[in-house]
Amino acid sequence: MSYFRAIDPLPLQSAEQTKLHDFYAHLAEGRLTTTRCRGCGRLDWPPRAFCPECAADDYDWVDLPRDGVVHGFTVQETGVPAGFTPPLVFAIVKVGGLRIFAPVLTREPAALQVGARVRFVPARVADDPKGAPRHLVAFEPA
Amino acid sequence: MRKVALVGAGVTKFGVRKASYRDLIWEAGKACFDSVPAVKPRDLDGLVVGSVMPERTAFQSHISSMAAEALGIRPSSLSARTEHMCASGTVGIRYAYAFIAAGLADLVMVLGVEKLNQPVADEAILNMGMGVDREWEACHGLTAPPCFALAAQKHMARYGTTEEQLGRVGVKNHTHAARNPTAHFQKGATLEQVLCSRMISAPLRLFMCSPITDGAAAVILASEERARDLTRKPVWILGTGQALDGFTLSSLPEDYAHWPAMQRAAGAAYRMAGITPRDVDLAEVHDCFAIAEVIAYEELGFCEKGEGGRFVEKGRSDYGGDVVVNPRGGLMGCGHPLGATGVAQAAEVFAQLRDEAGSRQVAEARIGLTHNNSGMGEHVVMVYGR
Repeated sequence: MSYFRAIDPLPLQSAEQTKLHDFYAHLAEGRLTTTRCRGCGRLDWPPRAFCPECAADDYDWVDLPRDGVVHGFTVQETGVPAGFTPPLVFAIVKVGGLRIFAPVLTREPAALQVGARVRFVPARVADDPKGAPRHLVAFEPA
Repeated sequence: MRKVALVGAGVTKFGVRKASYRDLIWEAGKACFDSVPAVKPRDLDGLVVGSVMPERTAFQSHISSMAAEALGIRPSSLSARTEHMCASGTVGIRYAYAFIAAGLADLVMVLGVEKLNQPVADEAILNMGMGVDREWEACHGLTAPPCFALAAQKHMARYGTTEEQLGRVGVKNHTHAARNPTAHFQKGATLEQVLCSRMISAPLRLFMCSPITDGAAAVILASEERARDLTRKPVWILGTGQALDGFTLSSLPEDYAHWPAMQRAAGAAYRMAGITPRDVDLAEVHDCFAIAEVIAYEELGFCEKGEGGRFVEKGRSDYGGDVVVNPRGGLMGCGHPLGATGVAQAAEVFAQLRDEAGSRQVAEARIGLTHNNSGMGEHVVMVYGR
């Protein structure tokens, strides 16, 4: 018997698999979006299908600015999970009034600084098990 | 509510163990029963097992029943597994405490166990990422070290905390661990070793991080009546508190170096125990990373906010200081087998408050505290007294 290891470390993104499939469809179009509650108007990151404030489950998708500012970051040099290659640059990016956790894609991690301007880019990642393309949020130096 | 005490405690050797998940359960059970000869497995009416990822590491769920059978326990009041990432063991102790305090159980074992090291080495780190939000954060390869690195950077920028001060947490805890035969690491560490160890996620270096460790620990909790029958030296649970601010990094307060949920958890435990931070003689705090211990000094009230780096630098968290923090060697020295950690902390407090801690003994220890975080915004605190 072979050694089984069937772990998909990436979210399933299609309409059959998540209520938030529009988010991923927008990513594929190059749009960074999140949910705004139709009940109370609350804007959240990450997107969500249930409002923690007013308990509504209706929401609209709103586009976020493409430009953000690095609020904090760290460069991980060793000990990253299987499937990832260090160094990984992890950042909290302020976008509008929200703080978004995402990687910063850069060949010069040493040049990055708190307060630096970065720009959203959708990152194409591994296809899902049925072969559909998948994307995640990322930023790159502006 | 009824009073509740620890009456027994035992810990396995922590490390990269040549042992199965069940072996570790047997070893912790044996060590715990040996500590309280008046109790046999069938005397217990409950078992709670704190364990995070046996589904991945041992391909086993249904853990409390499996452990009950392994140890010959036949629960008649309480059988449960607790999973709360790094706080799983202590969360289990809280469950057992509440059941006994409420009169729903009398004599309950809480066992924490984790077999993290795997035949395929990179699988262990992959598995550790399960504690991070999969859809929004872990999908990017995020595990714990970068989260705490962000807190460390903020603390350094805001309060002037230095890498050397973070390194001193590693030196202290590795030094303590050298006196603990169950610790993963027993060679101690110099400041130079810590500051020259390889960078994991800036500014956290290897010796400022807890390792991936296998191990188990068990304690037995008893109602006051049973406790007085079973031992001359019960260790009483005086207070407990838990508070959560958020799970994802994006949801936490903007200042990652400020952990208000820990203040709330500690405040609740102190109020319940009727003590202040100054009354604490020893504290087993969750030094998963050096910065976590520095921030714990502050949020637990051992020093002012921002003073944590100087607190360790001046030796105030070591023997002879204000409060001995992590006499066991902490997560950095002992290792961090997730579900086992909180139970092993309780076992250390049990030994310390009974004057049975040998070369690690904190003089005249009367009040002991344990703390776990399971993320920067999630905290649980216990206060014990003799």
